[in-house]
Order: sequence, then structure tokens, then C-alpha cells
Amino acid sequence: MTTVYRNPGLDLERGTAGGEHAPCAMSRRHFLLTSGATTFTTMVVLNAGTALAQKAPARVAVFERKFIARLSELEVDVPVDFTYPDEGAYAESMLVKLGVPAGGGIGPDRDVVAFNYTCTHQGGPLQETYRGATKSLGPCPLHLSTYDLTRHGILISGQAYQSLPQVLLELEGDEIYAVGIFGLIFGRYDNLKG
Amino acid sequence: MATPYYIPESKVPLPPKGAEVIDTVCDYCVVACGYKVYRWPVIAASGGPSKEENAFGVDFPVDPLGPWVAPNQHNIVLHNGQPHHVVIIPDKDIKSVNLNGDSSLRGGCIAQKCYNPQTPTRDRLKTPLLRMYGTLMPVSWDFALDIAAEVGRYVIEKHGPLAYGVKMYSYQFIENTYAITKFALRHINTANFTFHDTPSDVTSTPGFRDAGFDNFGPSYEDWRDAETLFICGTDPYETKTILFTQWIMPGIQRGQKTIFLLPRRTAGVAYAEKNGGMWIDVTPGTDLVVMMAIARVIVENDWQDKEWIAKFVNNKWESNSGFGQGTRNTPWQWRTTWGLFQTDGFEDWKKWLLAQPEFEVEKAAAIAQIDPQKIRTAAEWMAKPRPDGTRPKTSLMIEKGGYWSNNTGNTNALAALGIICGAGGRPGQVVARAGGHQRGGLRGGKYPRNKSPMKVPGRRRRALDTDTWLLAGHTRFAHAIGCTWIQSMAGSQAIAKRFDELVVANPHQIRSFDKQEIIDTLKARADSGGMVVINQDIYLVDPIGNRYADIVFPAATWGEDTFMRANGERRLRLYNRFYDPPGVAKPDWWIVAQLAKRMGFDGFDWRDTNEVAEEAARFSRGSRKDFFMIKVAAQREGKTLHQKLAEFGTDGIQGPVFMRDDGTLVGTKRLHDTTRELPETGPAGANVFNKKLMRFNSQTGKCNLQKAPWSLFSDYWEWMKPKGDELWITSGRINERWQSGFDDRRRPYVVQRWPENWVEIHPEDAAARGIESGDYVMLYSDRIPSVKETLLGVYADDYRFSGLMKNGYIELSKAAVTAVAIVTPAIKKGVLYMDFLHTQQPANALEGRVVDWISGNYNYKIGVGRIKKVGASPYKNSFRSMSFAPRDIA
Repeated sequence: MTTVYRNPGLDLERGTAGGEHAPCAMSRRHFLLTSGATTFTTMVVLNAGTALAQKAPARVAVFERKFIARLSELEVDVPVDFTYPDEGAYAESMLVKLGVPAGGGIGPDRDVVAFNYTCTHQGGPLQETYRGATKSLGPCPLHLSTYDLTRHGILISGQAYQSLPQVLLELEGDEIYAVGIFGLIFGRYDNLKG
Repeated sequence: MATPYYIPESKVPLPPKGAEVIDTVCDYCVVACGYKVYRWPVIAASGGPSKEENAFGVDFPVDPLGPWVAPNQHNIVLHNGQPHHVVIIPDKDIKSVNLNGDSSLRGGCIAQKCYNPQTPTRDRLKTPLLRMYGTLMPVSWDFALDIAAEVGRYVIEKHGPLAYGVKMYSYQFIENTYAITKFALRHINTANFTFHDTPSDVTSTPGFRDAGFDNFGPSYEDWRDAETLFICGTDPYETKTILFTQWIMPGIQRGQKTIFLLPRRTAGVAYAEKNGGMWIDVTPGTDLVVMMAIARVIVENDWQDKEWIAKFVNNKWESNSGFGQGTRNTPWQWRTTWGLFQTDGFEDWKKWLLAQPEFEVEKAAAIAQIDPQKIRTAAEWMAKPRPDGTRPKTSLMIEKGGYWSNNTGNTNALAALGIICGAGGRPGQVVARAGGHQRGGLRGGKYPRNKSPMKVPGRRRRALDTDTWLLAGHTRFAHAIGCTWIQSMAGSQAIAKRFDELVVANPHQIRSFDKQEIIDTLKARADSGGMVVINQDIYLVDPIGNRYADIVFPAATWGEDTFMRANGERRLRLYNRFYDPPGVAKPDWWIVAQLAKRMGFDGFDWRDTNEVAEEAARFSRGSRKDFFMIKVAAQREGKTLHQKLAEFGTDGIQGPVFMRDDGTLVGTKRLHDTTRELPETGPAGANVFNKKLMRFNSQTGKCNLQKAPWSLFSDYWEWMKPKGDELWITSGRINERWQSGFDDRRRPYVVQRWPENWVEIHPEDAAARGIESGDYVMLYSDRIPSVKETLLGVYADDYRFSGLMKNGYIELSKAAVTAVAIVTPAIKKGVLYMDFLHTQQPANALEGRVVDWISGNYNYKIGVGRIKKVGASPYKNSFRSMSFAPRDIA
């Protein structure tokens, strides 16, 4: 059994999951639905097996689990760049320790989040636009959209059709893994078909 | 209503090769971007990621700016009764308006507008409803129409046409507005008539009208090509996005100096400031003194455009020219007769300007509570000639924050400031509104102003203030079409109270199954001094439909019938039908036609929307969206008007439209274009080539340089001005939400972003009241002023606020709305800013219901009240919904 810090919300789902619903699959699919302000640190057996993969939609079932960074090496407001879920177009993403709790944040302070770097309006690059003062990405150089990283990448101001895709993280010991994405990445018609 | 807990999709179907492609235009803001609808049956296979497999002919992933499909751009609709996928994305091949296929969030997600019972649009009105035994119940069209028509006709005969009130949208497509105004103005001929955003049928910009400017003369490129752009009362990025991102932003990138005059800093303002522009953080209602102070600096330095003024400003003789016309040829002739506005030309105006102490820089800055240096800088940017003698090309734009703060004064001031800068009639040098709604109004009848019982001092009648008329109990039959009526008017809670008294509290309520008894009940209601309400809309609107309407007619809308409309540069396009309306919903032109026929009016036998458009065409002649010659061309070529307009695609054609000698059509890039060169011959035949094409809307074709006296408005402003711990309360649109949110409330993502109304408050004002971001607050006032009588003005000051107050015509009432606090320095200290039209938490409840005493419009943007904390909202400490991050990150 491994200690895993997951995105919050698992508590609720463990409580409601009957025999038919496997908690791990639900946790990803209902990530946004269930994440609240209160920190849950839950011990869960990471048991994503074939039975679960069948129940969960494709978008969460088959993401690669990828090592991104060590929690102990993160500095507040200093983004770490990585690619996810593959090496294809628009896979560039960022992970950042915000220093304040955030929706979907992991770690003891619930402040480590990760997002795709491509603006979900018209595909502008958001690299180099992180602002520590506002915990935001943007303005996009194309049409000025900005995103709130404390609130699941919701649009602060601008024209994007949806939130910035949030990379679902897991913490295992000191190691942070990317395990899924919520929201369609710009340019793609399916996150897994880059 | 949508849940605020939105879960994004992670894949989307792509349109296959061979999917039908249908042109349309966005339904929302004035900019009116071109879109393409891709439609294919759900039983057909969707497209694939390679260019051979999809309708776009591109490989996925697409390039930036490419034809990406966000999940919110897909929907499933019924077309000819069969389920079809639709993907609606901005037209990537368009040559105008939304270049590069740009879009806002509003239009970008317009696929979500379409009725789909699996989405929150499921509550679209699908059948006529009749309120029986207190409940709105589905009934047939014939049943509902027979009752409405019989009661309506009875009220007109018994109580006169002015007892029949019509409140309609001004914009929702040419065919509908033509049909409704033909019904209301030509046939019923009621003066109890107005549009969605004003209590009286009057111009939005009285100062422009007097100066000679059309509201929508420019082309969008003029806003880009201006070297200095002065924007009063709006951030176009927030409210007409593509005008900013595709036209003004490139201008700023080329060095345009953009000046914003408004109390709130949003993304467009921040972008301009970062790139050399300026934010003048004006106090609500004081724009006039700032603009006139800028003008004063210009004339003191002799920076005015002398050549332009000599050529295009009326002198004394010209101002009075015509048959006693000149500037006096306005609906408010009485005021100019007294010399309040009219001047004898530039020198006379200058003398007046310099004699007004409040226009001295320091004094104006003190009134507006701004840095006086900003006034001097603005004057330099707008008018100071360069060392080589050339002048900056300056344009001026106004929208509701400006013209609904001091309607007559601010539009007069902006027009005058523009004229002395040489703006108004040349490329990159224009004066206009930015626009709110698209331009879909076409009158099928003339407003009978002489029937209005309201008269201003002097000779003129004044368009009826329909709210005051209703409050006084004179409206016995209220016919509301596609508007909230109540929350969109100032002092809205007092209006709602009156609806309660006249409709709900009246003893004559339908408690019968018999048609004649139902009719008799409603007639008895009208006869007893009560009011019958009928409502046409696409959703059941609260309270006008939900609580007050006796009969509700379900309207078909955008995408559900084929319509015509123009945009903010007069660009006419066809909005094609591409799916079936829900239930038995019908377009508004059809609904009023059925009523009209039952009421005995002739000329309502149209079989389809094209027939309405073809009849309407001649009523557009000479107007800024004159499309008569499109119809002439269509008939010559054996086509319908709609077919001919469709040939122009999403680029459309800019009105007024002319026919060349060879039969081809040509549009008009800009009105008042003094640089336009005419060909040797033409236009001829049925073309109407009038004065405003190359000159201005005055008797001589020159501009009237008019005074903009602060004293005509300052009595109201001083009275409204916050006392004690009061703050100004102003309001406007927020980028992500359109109007009352009739569509956005049914878009889960937008609901997640903006679940309810909110108020921006400066950190110092918030700290003094213990308010933090995310707190529920109560905004309230016990002194909302409201005009209580329909007036007959006799003496000069009868209509002024101080005169009304003195004569006992102003009633004070209480009002309160709740909101979620957003603490931000982006709003000026001492000012609160709300979304203007949440139907549940209407900001307008706190605005004075006192019309601009010259024009008859409400000055919606200068309310006042107190604010206190109520407790924490659910959004304060959760991460699912809202954001309290600043909107002005640059």
C-alpha cells in the first residue's frame, strides 16, 4: 500500500460509492464536481485496473501516469514546465506551487496545481505569463484571456470557450505525477489523440 | 437553470466531409461576427482528424487561430424533425468584422443557444400559455390568439389606443421589428410605445442628433486608423469584443493613443495603458465637465482644427437656415429656441466655453475627482498639431456609461469636442456610438408623438414616458415583446410593485374554462382600472411572463427562422434558419400578424419571413441600412430578397446599398464621408443618395457646434451625489455574459463563472465596511427618486429635476438588491459597479427613475446607495465557481 495524496473530493465519493461504483474512477471523472475548499488527505489504494477502465470514460481511463517533479524542490510561484499527456502538439503544460490553497491543489498545503499552456480561445501560447500576485496565467498575447489557477483554471476575463485544461496530479511520497486532464486541449478533438 | 458545477468535455465530434455548411451571424453584440454552421445527421458518421476526413479540410490538431471545435461549440438539434449535429464556429474565411475567424466567448459558444432538451435550454417556451386558476397552462395558438386579440381590440375601442402599451426589443431582426411596429404604430397608432431600453421612444444620443452625426456612421477600420481614440463610457473589450481585438488592438499596436473615460479599469483599458494609452477614472456623471475642460485646453492653446471648422461648422445664419429649421429641427425644439444649446458658430461657442468656470482644468478635475494633468494630456493627444503642422487623426466613441450618465449633456459635449478636433467626416476621424445591440430595427409605422399627452414647455409634444404612464394606471393592456421590461428600467422595484397592484391584485382573474368568460374577465380587469399583460418571448421571463402575463406566446428566434439584420458598421447580412423551433414556437412577425388579422387590420398576410422583408424594404429607403436596392436587384434577377442577400455571405454589404448603372450593388463604407469621390454619373433610378452620405444631418449639411451646459444637469447630479456613507452605484455589462443572461443562465460554464450578480468595490471602501471578496452584500437606498405624474410642462423649469422636486412630482422609495462582493482597485474609490441586468438581482432597482429632462431617456448609470455585509457567500471559500482575481491584468 502506497500513501497517495490525491486531489480533494475523494472523501465524498468514498462515502457514496456503492458496490457498483469504484471510487478511483469516480474521483477523476468528478474531479471538478467534488473538489471543495477543505483539504482532504486520503489514503487510497491506487487500484486502477481493467474493471475500472471499463466504467470510466476514455478521457480519464487511459492517461499515462507521468512523473513531473518533486514536491520538496518546488518554490512558490516558480512554474515547472512539462509536457502532458504526450509529446504532441499543445502538450506543453506547467506545474506551480501557488502558495495558497487551490481547487485541485495537492500537497499538504493543497497549493500545487498544473495546467495546459495553450489558451482555449484560439490557441495562443501562455508560456511566460504566470503571475504570482494574481495566481494567474495570461493575458494571452492573441486576445488577452486570463485564467485563475486557484479555481480550476476558470476564465478571469476574456474570450475562451472553457477553462484552461487542468492536469490532474497525484502525490506519492515526494513525487508528483500527472495522471489525467480535465477539459479539451486546444487544437485537438480528443485529448488522447494529439 | 444550469448548475454552477460544470464538468468540461474532453472530446468533440468533428463535422464530416460533406456536412452542410450554413452561413449565419452571431446573435449577440453590435459587432455581429460571421459564423458558419456545420450540420450533419446524427445517424451519419462524424468526421475524422485528417483533412480528408473532416469538413474543414485541415489536419488535427489545428494551428492556432485554426478551425478548432471546443465542446461548447457543438450541439444536437432537430432539423426537419431529425436529430442533427451542429458545430458552430466563427467563419475562418471572413474578410470583414471578425478577421481571422475571431470570436468572443459569447458568440463563440453560440451553439449552446440552440434548443436541446438535454441541456438547460429545455425550458424554452414551446406552446402558448394561458394563466388559468393562477397557473400558466399550455393552450392552442387559436385559443390564446382569439382571447388576446379580442381583449386588445376591446381595450383600444373602450379606453383608446394609448391604453394599449407595446414594449418591444429594438433589434431582434428587421422582419420582426417591421411587423411589430406596423402593428403598434401604423395600425393601433399608440403613443404608449417604446423599446426595451428606454421609457420613451426617443433617440439614444440627442447631442449627436443636434450636431448632425449619425450614431453608426463609421466603419470598424476607422476605429483602428485613428491615431488618438477617445472612448467615453465603455471598454469595448468587455462589451463588443471583436471591435477591440480585431480593430482597436491593432490600432494600439501601431501606436494609437487610446483614452478611456470611465470609472472602471478592465482588460481593454489595462492593455491600452500598458501600451501608451490613458485611463481617466471619472466619477459617474461628470464626463461632461472633463470633456469640456479638454475642449477648453484645446481652444486656449488654439489647437482646434481651424480648416475643418471653417468648412464644416454652421455659422449663425446657417444654424437658423431652412424653414425655421437648422438646429431647431429637433424633437426638443423648445430648448434650442431658448438658446440653451444653439450657438452662432465656433467663436460664439468658444466664448461660452471660456465663460464657464467649471470647465477650468482644476475645477473640472475636482468635480470629476481625477488628476488634472490627464485633462491636459488628453487635449494634447487629441488636438495638438505636430511640429510639421499635421494634426493627429482623432476619433471619439461613446456608449452607455457615457450617454446614460448625462444623456443630453454628455452626447452634446462629446460631439462638440469631436468637431473642434476635426473628427466626424474622414477616415480615422469619426464620431459615433460603439453600439450595444445589433441594428435590426425597421419601422413599419410612424410614432404618433402628437398623441402623447406629455408636453414640454413651449410647443412640442414629447414621446410618452411609458413607465410613468403605466405607474399612473393608464395602461390597461401591456404587450411585452422580447424584453424584461421591469428590470431593464430604472427604479425597477417600484415598477414591479405597480404591476403587482394592477395585474395580480386585481380581482378579475381567469377562473373559467370558457373562452367567452375568459375574455369577459380580462375585459372586466381593464375596465376596473387593472391591466392585462401579454408577453412574447423565447423563455418564460420573471416576473413579466412568470408572474404577470395572462397570455404567453412562444417565440422562435435566431437560427429558427431566416432573418436580416445590420451591425455597428451598417453591414447587412442574412441569418439563416438551420434548425426547427421548439414545440410550436413561431417568429414574432407571425405572432403579431395573427393578432393583427384577428383585430381587423389588413396587410398582415405574409406567408414567410422573406415576404415581410420585401415589404419592409421600401421603409428602409434613405436610412443608414437602406437595403431597398437589394430587393430591386433581386427582382431583376428573379430571386427573393433573402436569396440575393445570401449571396453576400457572412461579409454582407454595408448600408446604404446602391445600384450601379450596370445593375451591380455597392455598399457604403462610412457615412458623413467628406472625402468620398463620386463617379461622373449615378447613382440614379430608385437609389436614394442623401445628404448624410458625404455631409452631416443638418439643414446645411454642416455640423452644429452646440453648448453642453453642466448647469442643466448638475441639480440632479448634486442631489444624487453620495451623502454620508453612501457610494455611487453604477452598472454595465460583463464580457462573459450577454444582457439579461437569457442564454447565459443556461450555459453551465458561464453560470460557473458568474453564478449571480456581484459588485465591485474599492479596497478602501470595502475595508471601511468590513467587506471581503466573496461576501454577500446588501445594496440599498431609501431615496430612489421616481417621477410620479405624467407631465404637461408650462414653465421653463417644469421638467428640470429641481423643478420637479419643487412642484412635488418626485416620489422617494426604498430599494435593495443583494450581490457577491469583489474587492478590487480596478473600480474607482467611492463607486460600486454591478452587472446591470441580472433578473433576480437587478442593479437598476437602485437607479433613479427620473428621465433626462431634455431627451426622455433614463440616466441609468448614476445610482446611489449604501452597502453592507450580509455574510459569506458559497463562493468565498470554495474553488468551483466565480473568480475574485482582478480583470485588469495586463
